[in-house]
Amino acid sequence: MTTALMTENPAVYTPPAQYKLSAAGLLRGEWTKFWSLRSSWIVLVCAAVFGAGIAVAVAATYDGGIPPEAGLHPIDFTMVGVGLSAVFIAILGVLFITGEYSTGSIRSTMAAAPKRTGVLWAKAAVFGAIVFAMYATVVGATFLVTQVLLDGTDMGGVSLSDPDVLRVLAGGYVAATVYLGLLGLAVGAILRNSAGAIGFYIGVIIILPNLAGLLPWEWVGDITPYAPGNVANVLSTFDTAGTALSVGQAWLWMGIWTVFSFGLAAVLLKRRDV
Amino acid sequence: MNPALRGRSVVDMIEIEHLTKRYGKKTAVDDLSFTVKPGAVTGFLGPNGAGKSTTMRAIVGLDAPTSGVARVGGKHYSQFRSPLTEVGALLEAKSVHAGRSAYKHLLALAHTHAIPKRRVSEVIDVVGLSDVAGKRVGGFSLGMGQRLGIAVALLGDPAVLILDEPVNGLDPDGVRWIRELLKGLAAEGRTVFLSSHLMSELAQTAEHLVVVGQGRLLADTTVEDFIDGRGAGRVRVSSPDAAALAECLRGPGVSITSPQSGVLEIQGTEAAAVGQAAAAHGIVLHELRTDRGSLEDAFMEITADSVEYHQSKEGVSA
Repeated sequence: MTTALMTENPAVYTPPAQYKLSAAGLLRGEWTKFWSLRSSWIVLVCAAVFGAGIAVAVAATYDGGIPPEAGLHPIDFTMVGVGLSAVFIAILGVLFITGEYSTGSIRSTMAAAPKRTGVLWAKAAVFGAIVFAMYATVVGATFLVTQVLLDGTDMGGVSLSDPDVLRVLAGGYVAATVYLGLLGLAVGAILRNSAGAIGFYIGVIIILPNLAGLLPWEWVGDITPYAPGNVANVLSTFDTAGTALSVGQAWLWMGIWTVFSFGLAAVLLKRRDV
Repeated sequence: MNPALRGRSVVDMIEIEHLTKRYGKKTAVDDLSFTVKPGAVTGFLGPNGAGKSTTMRAIVGLDAPTSGVARVGGKHYSQFRSPLTEVGALLEAKSVHAGRSAYKHLLALAHTHAIPKRRVSEVIDVVGLSDVAGKRVGGFSLGMGQRLGIAVALLGDPAVLILDEPVNGLDPDGVRWIRELLKGLAAEGRTVFLSSHLMSELAQTAEHLVVVGQGRLLADTTVEDFIDGRGAGRVRVSSPDAAALAECLRGPGVSITSPQSGVLEIQGTEAAAVGQAAAAHGIVLHELRTDRGSLEDAFMEITADSVEYHQSKEGVSA
């Protein structure tokens, strides 16, 4: 009966040919998704206020009380909040993907991009670029404002051309934050559950390597600098003479952990049902 | 061959071949094979947990089959360069981030395929969400969520539409609207495949039916044949002399039951034959009619065989 109907009424539908899935399209899609959630704005503002706010507060109230023997570089002193704010970014990275699983929007996402991994790369690129742009701005502005406030104290008078200052600001505070944010995104993609992934990031990536230092075995202390949450620490260290990793090794290990975590996330994304 | 056909290598038919999907020990879909053809609305009927949603998820590549294949137009869904224009899917009403507006949800999906904003506004109009498109989806009612899901399915103006329980949560107006919408889309030559556990709903929308129970194919036929072939041709007659009438009607292939005294239900014969026999024997009739049976009856009859279902209604979500 259906066959007869079809020959009588041979309407053949041809879908529009101009719409095509592309990498650029996936980037635009993820960009739109990121900025269309209120939580993205809230977390970014929190990170900026926390990072820059602490810096400005300590700089504005500093009265020269830190003895030079402490070996504290002015950048260590002012950027402490910026370093801590990276945890907001990592959690935002987690939520950027786990939010899709918890709400079910991942089904729309993957139905539109059934090869799946393109979505992961697009998310990483968009998120990495946003964090990079934001932290380049926050770190730069914080440096300039705090140096103005600290002018005339022993913490003032630091210039970008001073030894290691640019390396620490760009590497230890901007790039390291991008790295930790991407690490959060990968953890989220692997675990797919907001609470589980945030718990894993804070418990296993941040806290565990520090607790491990309390253990009596020497080998534990030998490997903790290589833990994914620790490899970037060298980048924000001025005196790298005694550190386990050199600056170059730190970059290498950041690369290794990024490739490993996203590789695992991509394999799982391909293999698991959505 | 129709000239328009040549532009497309294979007609956009959904082909399910020996599809099996297990989740752990639970078999959701069990060696299911059927095809869905363009130009008609095909209903996918079965009780909750029969494997309808799993099959639909397999078609759009969200679930990988344990064995067998699901293809659209001869291809696996992930091979399409433009998935949204090939298949539009409404899978579960909640496939949207609650914190995002309906417009932005559609826009983000549209961007992936370079679909213009104009088309986004168009589908929002079609589904009647223009007034709330800027609001966060978290506040949407079930029916509004369903309309948004339909907008997503329509976004790429696709050749194939797959809709999982699209009627859920819609008010009567909405139900009538989607019925007309789907018939119109099928008339344009598209393939329309919608699932429901409401048999009456499909009777009014679909021409063709694929019936499943416990992940297995129970029927693959037209709606008309489905009703005719099941619980149909049943003649109901009431007479003060029912016993005598029953005697006259007995014969090979005829089965007679008496649900209450003075009433006979006869299968395997026509109402006209019953009337003839009564007249020939001078038996008075008070009532004579044919129960055509409903899709509901036919469905209950066919799924009654799946005894296990009655014992355990839970299982993989539909």
